[in-house]
Amino acid sequence: MRHGKYRFVAGFLALPVLLYVFYVWVPFGYSFYFSLTRYRGTDVPPVFVGLDNFTTLFTDTPEFWKALTHNGVILLIMPLVTIVIALIFAFFLNVGGKAKGGVTSGVRGSKFYRLVFFFPQLLALPIVAVLFQSIYRPDDSGLINGALNKLGLPKIGFLIDTNIALLSIIAVMVWQAVGFYVVLFSAGMSSIPKEIYEAADLDGASRWTMFYKVTLPLLWDNIQVGWVYLGIAAFDVFALVDVLSVNRGGPSFSTTVLSMEVVNKIGAGNYGMASAMGVMLFFCTLTFAAISLRVTKRESIEY
Amino acid sequence: MATVSYKGATRRYPGTTRNAVDKLDLEIGDGEFLVLVGPSGCGKSTSLRMLAGLEDVDEGAILIEGKDVTNLPPKDRDIAMVFQNYALYPHMTVYENMAFALKLRKTSKDEIDRRVKEAAKLLQLEEYLSRKPKALSGGQRQRVAMGRAIVREPQVFLMDEPLSNLDAKLRVQTRSQIASLQKNLGITTVYVTHDQVEAMTMGHRVAVMLDGVLQQVDTPRNLYDSPANVFVAGFIGSPAMNIKTVTLGADGARFGSMLMPLTREQVTAAGDGKVTVGFRPEDTDLVAPSEGGLPIVVDLVEELGSDAYVYGHADVNGEQERFTVRTDGRSAPSLGDTVYVKPRGAHHHVFHAETGVRIA
Repeated sequence: MRHGKYRFVAGFLALPVLLYVFYVWVPFGYSFYFSLTRYRGTDVPPVFVGLDNFTTLFTDTPEFWKALTHNGVILLIMPLVTIVIALIFAFFLNVGGKAKGGVTSGVRGSKFYRLVFFFPQLLALPIVAVLFQSIYRPDDSGLINGALNKLGLPKIGFLIDTNIALLSIIAVMVWQAVGFYVVLFSAGMSSIPKEIYEAADLDGASRWTMFYKVTLPLLWDNIQVGWVYLGIAAFDVFALVDVLSVNRGGPSFSTTVLSMEVVNKIGAGNYGMASAMGVMLFFCTLTFAAISLRVTKRESIEY
Repeated sequence: MATVSYKGATRRYPGTTRNAVDKLDLEIGDGEFLVLVGPSGCGKSTSLRMLAGLEDVDEGAILIEGKDVTNLPPKDRDIAMVFQNYALYPHMTVYENMAFALKLRKTSKDEIDRRVKEAAKLLQLEEYLSRKPKALSGGQRQRVAMGRAIVREPQVFLMDEPLSNLDAKLRVQTRSQIASLQKNLGITTVYVTHDQVEAMTMGHRVAVMLDGVLQQVDTPRNLYDSPANVFVAGFIGSPAMNIKTVTLGADGARFGSMLMPLTREQVTAAGDGKVTVGFRPEDTDLVAPSEGGLPIVVDLVEELGSDAYVYGHADVNGEQERFTVRTDGRSAPSLGDTVYVKPRGAHHHVFHAETGVRIA
């Protein structure tokens, strides 16, 4: 009986595991292998060169370090800003309304806002990128600069100024991601029993205290999950950078990220270097996920 | 410590025709333990939440210690509440749960520590202070909820069915603990329950509500002895009173072959034709056929050891009516027997057949 059960389970698992191994683990294996070779992707077989690619990467590839730094900057700013904005919105949508009587009601029209906040999530990333290209356009035809011009204000080179190009792209990421996290946090907030808010109200908690001392700690699980998702997303900004940035990662490498550089190296026919960068990206993402899960670990909440 | 007055307090939920609480007038004395009781949906919890400030007051006013608090937010009313599901903060330890309100008021650390320790000692929670609520049993959580209210030293305690999540035995135990705690602290307490036994055993006075309307406020003794109307008569006491509307004769109420004697004043006040009469299962005797009791065919006997409850039916003026009688456990009749039931002495209650109001 016991034996039969395992065979039954294995029967269901076999196909997904096979697909997963073939489409995930095998390419991973190839990447690791290529990263140790010189390979141009043609019919000339790869030549094993040991760790040469990594040495070159660390000592003689400034764009790699730029890309890594940019990923780091995105990792620091984007999840934090997204989560803070999403939390504020979610708080207003769920418990930010009228103070008296129903403590847990949202602001007026909260259902409508919830829907609107979710819209960006429905658009594919490249479409978002195209959309923002016209919003960010540096001349009068850009949505923002056109408006600034009408108001007699100086234009802003969102994507052509090396100082703010990366920030402009981060802003798009935040704009696109907030909606989903508003919904995630809203779900978390609505699962907090309203009596807890009422008890806090009777205990003399102000709006801010209630948010800081009750809502936030009780949402910690959700925030943690959000943080990990967004952090991992910070390592993969390819679609946005590819479509939105000037010269795919420009101007002068000011917006490039690891995934962009991987593609650039492939474009240059240097599969070995591209794979080496891919391997670095793999370890970065893995390290981040491991660290963040460890650091944010807390005992789960029961009501 | 304070007095509480409801002055025509009314709560109307939008989109409903009937008021959830209708013109509630209630005076609660300093240090009094008042119990609000009634079937579910009668407005007792709403009344309590109006006092807490968690529910709007649409008409009338609520006063605490003579001060109008009708439009004050909950935190400015100096009240503490124990919720049915306790509403403990799950991410805080027992100590933090109890200290939370004091911290928000910027009470000194030493003072907080003293008061929390004191309450913990009172409630036998000392060894659990560093635990989270999820590591506590139901009874312990209930005590933490009490502790959270006690450390505040509020003017008024509010309790919303605080015992309904406990098992039967613990409930009886905690019931007496709460009552003696309230007595020692002397803090005015309003307690909501649907359990009339809780109401009768704990309250100094009991307020019975139905459909948002206050039916009667009195001591448990008086509620039992002279219920103001048919609803209170049927609600207070277990098993419920036998209440029947029967034909009115010149000298009493006719239960088929049995005559229930009424005074001349009662007959006059009852008006024409019909009268509602009630007598409690415990105010009856089983008598010999010759003594003129009401013959009842036994449908069910509940043996409780000391007593037995006899459920049966009788033919009263052409209608099959059900009756409950308490009798000695050792001489209980058997199923299908016919027994003769006679209400004892003057313990029956008379109500107007139309209005249901008590006729003295």
